[in-house]
Amino acid sequence: MAGKISTAGYSSVIPTVRKNRLLGFMWKYKALYFISIPGILYFLIFKYVPLAGSVIAFQNYNLFKGISGSPWVGLEHFQRMFSHYDFLNILKNTLLLGIYDIAFAFTAPIILALLLNEVRLMLYKKIVQTIIYAPHFLSWVIVSGIFVGILSPSSGIVNVMLGWIGIDPIYFLGEESYIRSILVGSGLWRDVGWGTIIYLAALAGIHPDLYEAAEIDGAGRWKQTFSITLPSLLPVITILFLLKIGDFLDYGFERVFVFQNPLNLRNSEILDTYIYKAGLRQMQYSYATAIGLFKSVVGLFLLVIANTLSKKATGESLY
Amino acid sequence: MKRLFTRSMITLLVIATLAGCTSNNGGTNASNKTPGDTPAAEEPQKEPTKFSIAMRTLNVAYVEKSPDINKDKYVLELEKMTNTDLDIRLIPHNEYQEKMIQMFATNDIPDVVQGSGGISGPELAGAVQNGVLLPLNDLLQEYGQDLLKFIPKDAWDRLTDSKTGTIYGIPEVLSNPSRRATWIRTDLLEKAGKPVPKTVEEMIDVLRAFKEIGVEHPFAGRKNFKYADTIFGAYDVFGYNNQFKLFPDGQVKPSFFDAENMKKAIGLYKTMHDEGLISREFATIESTDFRNIITSGKAGMWSMNANELPIWGAQLMNNVPTAKVALIPSPIGPDGSGGYAHYNPVTRSFFINANAKDKAADIVKFFNWMVSEQAELFFSFGIEGEDYKVENGRPVLEIPTDTEGTDKLRYLNYWLWMVQDTTYNKRVSSLSETGLQMIDAFDNMLSKEGRRGIEFDPRLDALIRYPDLNPKSDELPPLILEHVLRMVYGREPVDDYEKVLEEYLSKGGREVIEEATARFQAKENAFE
Repeated sequence: MAGKISTAGYSSVIPTVRKNRLLGFMWKYKALYFISIPGILYFLIFKYVPLAGSVIAFQNYNLFKGISGSPWVGLEHFQRMFSHYDFLNILKNTLLLGIYDIAFAFTAPIILALLLNEVRLMLYKKIVQTIIYAPHFLSWVIVSGIFVGILSPSSGIVNVMLGWIGIDPIYFLGEESYIRSILVGSGLWRDVGWGTIIYLAALAGIHPDLYEAAEIDGAGRWKQTFSITLPSLLPVITILFLLKIGDFLDYGFERVFVFQNPLNLRNSEILDTYIYKAGLRQMQYSYATAIGLFKSVVGLFLLVIANTLSKKATGESLY
Repeated sequence: MKRLFTRSMITLLVIATLAGCTSNNGGTNASNKTPGDTPAAEEPQKEPTKFSIAMRTLNVAYVEKSPDINKDKYVLELEKMTNTDLDIRLIPHNEYQEKMIQMFATNDIPDVVQGSGGISGPELAGAVQNGVLLPLNDLLQEYGQDLLKFIPKDAWDRLTDSKTGTIYGIPEVLSNPSRRATWIRTDLLEKAGKPVPKTVEEMIDVLRAFKEIGVEHPFAGRKNFKYADTIFGAYDVFGYNNQFKLFPDGQVKPSFFDAENMKKAIGLYKTMHDEGLISREFATIESTDFRNIITSGKAGMWSMNANELPIWGAQLMNNVPTAKVALIPSPIGPDGSGGYAHYNPVTRSFFINANAKDKAADIVKFFNWMVSEQAELFFSFGIEGEDYKVENGRPVLEIPTDTEGTDKLRYLNYWLWMVQDTTYNKRVSSLSETGLQMIDAFDNMLSKEGRRGIEFDPRLDALIRYPDLNPKSDELPPLILEHVLRMVYGREPVDDYEKVLEEYLSKGGREVIEEATARFQAKENAFE
């Protein structure tokens, strides 16, 4: 039947032409459309419908009355968040951690991948690769356990080594000036190997002819890296960077929470941990949602800016 | 043809899956029925009451390891004795609050819900106020007379809306709310040549002596002063959720507003930290490390729940055969008393879903049975002939020494027995040496110590508005805790404590105190 419509569409009035052409197009590739239905449903049901739940940020949400029965309070929760005496400090911590994370945790896998790429001995390369991405499979609770152990002032290996060169033991986790380095460092240790996988895959895709040609032209390894390897990696780097920017304020709750104690709280309280403590533990869902919404909006904003900039500068973009 | 084949195969598969699912369900239903059916077939009794109940696992190993708690032989025995058919839904201990709230949010509420205290605990998510749970007054009058007799008034009060007098839950009680105790290694004390310390000054003296003879942790410290709050207790400045005090100026404030005593307490902790009498890294010592430090014999003195004596004592002796441990009266402060914050008199409570109205009478009867003689015997010893024997009319039980046996006893004594006085199990404890020691400590020592304050349940609204000022049941509010720890670690001078109080007041503390005073004067769900 639809087939009939499409043939009719080509000959009939102009405004309906486009519509009918679309239907015809869809009919032609009906199998493709059909198999995409589960995916579309998945995103609708699990990603877009829950988005509507964000409205509880503007309500005093009551678990038993639901969204329809809870009273609307407008921007009260946002006001409360911005007027919280510690808000600026929490935001500062979140931003700083985000920046450090991009500066170190984002660039480290690229450098590591480039270094690994230069390793000629395949067996050695494979072993190193396996060892460095194994920690990714540990949970943050375990990672924090390991770090608390090695940083302990009484028994930790770090302080034992500091002792050899005559430095008194330092209580790293009890010192607020070290906590950001520990957070970024532990993240680096856990995920740097895992992060190299995509880059290594991209590196494997570079055509060897390029290198051969460069060699004939007299380019050394440095020259080759800068003129061939890096430019070929650039699209991947840009895409990953844009994805990373999107959740700039989303440093992750668990990885920070497991390292927190009252002695380092001033430099380690971030939006995620605050949401957990103030919102979820005390059941202030609306308040927690308001903070979460703020985070997402900032993330979206940054993503759009970065994407536009990147499109203009490099031609690479997410959309 | 090929297409037809594929299609028919898919249809067949779908049907088979569906049939598989349904037959599976049928299978479990049938097996669920068996335990109930057998007694019904034997006796002309009425059908067993079938009801579902949500229970926290409480970290009880036996429960967590059980493949299906509803098929456990003790649960089956319990069902037989009470003519019920339980459908126990376990709630993981560590995710209790989240899972309970999820349960209420999705409206998937079992017939009986286990709470952990009063009617406004966070795990209930306001269910009482929203009419989700059944008022029990009439049912208790009719079917729960034994419960009404057994459970003391202050426990019932916690489950009663003080404005309307409606009872919403059945409490399990803790008759002796002073549960934590001070422990000391008497063998080390002997070695150091010191008597049992009575005051905090003597305690510091003993800790120094421990240090001298090489004890690694003279006093076992722990993160956030949890189970390491002996000194705060001596000076009566806990500041926990149930530790509000009426001050001379007529206002009800958290007890840490007693600046003079608070400064002395912080000062003592600082001394302990500076001299290494408490681990220099106690701010990051978690519960498992804490336990390991103690049971591996590295600690001289610590604080722990008294009913752990048989278990921790045995583990310590396993690792260090020469170790001797005793519960001693907690060191006293300037006012001549000491000890730890008293517990809520209600440990667990059971609520009935308003939708289970037609089963409610039988459910109340089930809980009423919990305080009977038969229940006491069953939950203390287990099944007659299998776990214990009766000789000369008296039950004889061999106290298990292996993990499996102790796990099972703990499960019966403490978890499956839903309504009891949970201070200690009298029947089992009186069979062993350490058990008798523990009973003695509870009855003659702990009952006389500890700190009691004013508690608001439901919590003050101001505390919910200002999470930083909201204390936990055994931790100072985050804002105060942070400053206190910084003072102990020498980052801030102890003399600045008044400034901390000012900060507390300016960041919402004024509202907390105003509300506390008003509610205390109006006697509105305020417990002393």
